[in-house]
Amino acid sequence: MEVKVSSSPFGGRTRTRALLALRLLGESYPRELARLLEAPLSGVQKALASLERDGLVAARSLGRTRVFRIEPRYFAFDALQRFLERLAEPEADLRARVAALRRRPRRTGKPL
Amino acid sequence: MILTTRSSLGAVALAVGGALRRHGIPAVLTGGACASLHTRGAYQSRDMDFILVGATTQARLDTAMASVGFVRKGDRYVHPRVVFYVEFPRGPLAIGSDYRIAPVERRGRHGRALILSATDSCRDRLAAFYHWNDRSSLDVAVAIALRSPVRLATVRRWSIAEGFAAGFAEFLREVRRTRVGRRRRSKPSPRRTAR
Repeated sequence: MEVKVSSSPFGGRTRTRALLALRLLGESYPRELARLLEAPLSGVQKALASLERDGLVAARSLGRTRVFRIEPRYFAFDALQRFLERLAEPEADLRARVAALRRRPRRTGKPL
Repeated sequence: MILTTRSSLGAVALAVGGALRRHGIPAVLTGGACASLHTRGAYQSRDMDFILVGATTQARLDTAMASVGFVRKGDRYVHPRVVFYVEFPRGPLAIGSDYRIAPVERRGRHGRALILSATDSCRDRLAAFYHWNDRSSLDVAVAIALRSPVRLATVRRWSIAEGFAAGFAEFLREVRRTRVGRRRRSKPSPRRTAR
């Protein structure tokens, strides 16, 4: 069994880390989050579904992909954003992984 | 109260609200169903979101809902003869960052239910427009403002507090534009009056 190295104030490690990742990324989809968090896709999907039921995240469909973000209509949205920002500070590894993700546009057909 | 395939959203909402009240479960109707009531049916919704504003148990909720014929299926309650379904999204009852919401009571021969006021229902739809750029929610907010008494000063104050003064200005333009359009349509043409 893995030893916990950081706290999980949102009820579970994957739930907490998914929220942190969404705070850093703005929005994301389950497969990207699973890659980023090195967690099983099914676990991330479950975590997102429970966060959605709690009203902390919301998703919209983009083609066949469900894109998640922290629910901006959540009554404590500003406080939650600040709390997550603080929680993300010591997560150097997660921040480095997020920083390594390419999010800017790439012209169609341009070689890699 | 027997619900049938012909029961309207309003009738079902009041029946469910009444059942919850009889079982001591405080809940407020929000979301699309509430908007549908305030637009007097101009906007249709099939799901009824009741936010629980007090503690209860799953068993108690099941019993209350069963008393009007609804059975739990996953996260929602369905009725064999009614097209509408009921969900209980987690609270708190809030619109954006405002959680001091005063619901209003709607009564009818089918029962009575606590629902968002027209002003709060309008704000609820506007929140979706502001935060998700959802134009259909803007249309519904406009429809509520045109068909029910909405305190625009309250909506304006809240919009500014949420950081969406420009969004409110757009909402107001839409309200005025739609109001003028409706007046023009309802005004008889000069040729018709001359006859």
